[in-house]
Amino acid sequence: MTVLLLLAGGGFGAGIFGSLLGLGGGILIVPLLTFGFGLPFREAVGVSLVCVIVTSSAAAGVYLERHLANLRLGMLLEVFTASGALVGGLVAFLLPDRVLAGLFAILLAYTGATMLRRGVTAAREGAGPIEPGEDPAGPADTPGAFRAALAGPGYRPARLGVGIGGSVFAGLVSALLGVGGGIVKVPLMYLVMGVPLKVATATSNLMIGVTAAASAIVYLMRGGIDPLVAGPTAVGVFAGAMVGSRVAQRIDLRVLRILFVAVLALTAIQMTLRALG
Amino acid sequence: MTVAAPIDAGTAASRAARVEGWIARVLRAGTLLSVGLLAIGVALMSLAGWSPLDATWPALDLGRIPGDLLALRPEGFLWLGLLTTLSTPLLRVAASVVGFLGAGERRMAGLGTAVLIIIALAVFVAQRTAA
Repeated sequence: MTVLLLLAGGGFGAGIFGSLLGLGGGILIVPLLTFGFGLPFREAVGVSLVCVIVTSSAAAGVYLERHLANLRLGMLLEVFTASGALVGGLVAFLLPDRVLAGLFAILLAYTGATMLRRGVTAAREGAGPIEPGEDPAGPADTPGAFRAALAGPGYRPARLGVGIGGSVFAGLVSALLGVGGGIVKVPLMYLVMGVPLKVATATSNLMIGVTAAASAIVYLMRGGIDPLVAGPTAVGVFAGAMVGSRVAQRIDLRVLRILFVAVLALTAIQMTLRALG
Repeated sequence: MTVAAPIDAGTAASRAARVEGWIARVLRAGTLLSVGLLAIGVALMSLAGWSPLDATWPALDLGRIPGDLLALRPEGFLWLGLLTTLSTPLLRVAASVVGFLGAGERRMAGLGTAVLIIIALAVFVAQRTAA
């Protein structure tokens, strides 16, 4: 009973943090389950993928209703994220836990650095998310009917080839490390493809469910998802994400971001130590 | 002639909005159903005094799920909840395929079908490699 409540509570915390900071819960759930509950890394990844799908499905519905997500672009890129995730799901069972932990440490360090940079930039420039309609990358490089179909209000996705390659990589990262892959997809769409930040975030969220499902199926069928751990954790994450989305306006995200980066740094050190054995 | 273009554009936009509305409803229903099933499973686990880390991990057996549900056994609700969770994004893609086909956008419907084929491949490969 205590463990069950702790799992649900941990999931709740991960859901709130993830929702407030615009991350999926995966980056927190894997360390929570491995360090907090002693789960093998691969089992933690399997449970995390389930949680990521729950939060993605919940948020993606809202984004679609508000017409923020670019469904056509998402459907194109998720062909490639799902392919990467399928390969990643298979490779994950071939790699030793220590290698996966090392890769996760790199991901944590990258995420922490990204959040710090975002915080500094926002403070210096007073910059918020770019509104749909702005086009930071300028006009698309080569016009075409298909690219035109992927366009949204005021922008047209550029560099589709790079976007496709990056999407395969995002799928691999998601499957190997149990995260949604938004940390790869959002910068890819925003910085490389010239998709407005809000649209990139919403579209990434839409794609996360399918990406994670492609690898979660492999984990499930190979006995890599423990339903007794996944149940309470997923329910906790869902509840946390719901609360997080409601209190986001009332919380000072700068303080939260610094706290989160500190947690990421500590976790990255622990993951590195685990990788080094 | 001059009136036709705005009407077509408006129709296309309303069709797209309708497809997105459909998909949003699929996602919401799937999420609520899966979380509801998982929550019932967790409540039954709690009543049965199971601890997630101590209890033996019940294997997935699709044939047992209906019986487990009728007998209010936690594993039935948990497995069904997990399967619903994994199916929700796939239902979203299937709904997109139907929606885009209805809207005459065959290329987008083809992309959705490609995703579903990749997922089917994942099931096939996982089955082969798990054996």
